[in-house]
Amino acid sequence: MVILSILILNKAGGLIYQRDFNEGLKKLSSNDYLVLAGTFHGVHAITSRISPVPGSGGLEVLESDQFRMQCFQTLTGTKFLVFAEPHQPNIDVVCRRVYELYADYVMKNPFYQIEMPIRCESFDRHLMAYIKPKQ
Amino acid sequence: MPIYSFYIFDRHCECIYVKQWLERERNSLRPTTSSGASIINSPLSGAPDKRISAGTIADQSLRTAPGRLSVQDDAKLVFGVVFSLRNMVRKLSGPEDNFVSYRTGSYKLHYYETATNLKFVMLTDVKMSNLRVVLHQIYVNLYVEYVTKNPLSPVEHPGGEGVAVELFELGLDRFVQTIQEA
Repeated sequence: MVILSILILNKAGGLIYQRDFNEGLKKLSSNDYLVLAGTFHGVHAITSRISPVPGSGGLEVLESDQFRMQCFQTLTGTKFLVFAEPHQPNIDVVCRRVYELYADYVMKNPFYQIEMPIRCESFDRHLMAYIKPKQ
Repeated sequence: MPIYSFYIFDRHCECIYVKQWLERERNSLRPTTSSGASIINSPLSGAPDKRISAGTIADQSLRTAPGRLSVQDDAKLVFGVVFSLRNMVRKLSGPEDNFVSYRTGSYKLHYYETATNLKFVMLTDVKMSNLRVVLHQIYVNLYVEYVTKNPLSPVEHPGGEGVAVELFELGLDRFVQTIQEA
C-alpha cells in the first residue's frame, strides 16, 4: 500500500495536519498547504452545489495522472484527505482507519485544543505504524 | 448510464458551449435560499426543458424554478471548480500532471484540456469509466472538424459564437447516445 500524503482539515477549512509518507508529491511550504486546504474546502462546497442530481455530497475521489485523492468528510465537518498512487484500491478504508486513530489519539488527548493544529506524538506514531508498518 | 451535461471553456475562461441532457427538476427537492440575490424571479416555464442547448449563451434566459442556478451560473461554478482543481493538482505534483476526473456520491466530472487551453468538461453518472478519451475524440472529430475548420466561424468564440453549429450538435448528440448505450 502506497500512501503518499495525508491532510486533515477542520470544519472551517483550516489545515490542522499534514504529513508525507512516500515520495510522489512535491514538497510545498506550510503556507502553500494552508492555501491548498482553504481552496479545497471551497471547491468541496461547490461540487455539491453543481450536482445535476439532487442531494449530492461533495467531492469524494479526485483522480489525476500521478495520484488519486480520497476525501472523507465526517459528520462534524472534519475532512480527511488521503493521497495515494493512481490505482490504489480501498483508500476509503484507510480514510476511516485514520479517522479512528484521530478519534483515539487526538480527540481523547486532554491537551488537544479543538480545531487547532494537531501536535500529538502518539497520533503520529500510530499513524506511521498503520501507513508504513515495516519501519 | 446517463450523461448529464457537457461544457467547453475557451482560453479566456469563457464558457463557449453548454449542453444539458437531463430534465432539470433538482430544485424541486432542494430548499430555496432566503437571500434575495439567489432567487431568480423569472416566470416558471410549465414543462421542464428536456434539452437545453445554449449555443449563444449570452442571450439565453433558460431558468426553471426559483432557487436554481441558471445554466450560465452553473457553467461559471463548473469552471471555477475545474480551474481550482487543475491548479491544485499541478501545484501538488508538478506542471506535467493533469487533472483527470473527480466524483462525488452522485455524479462524476470528467476533464480534458487541449494544448491550446480549451477545456472540455462532462458530467456523468458515477459508474461511468474514464471519459478522457471520449472528450479527446469530441475535440478531434467534432470540434476541430466542424468548428475550427468551419470557414465562417470566428477564430475566438466570444459568447459561444460559431460553436453551436448544426453539424457539431448533431455529431455530439449521436456521440453521446453511443456512450450512454455502451
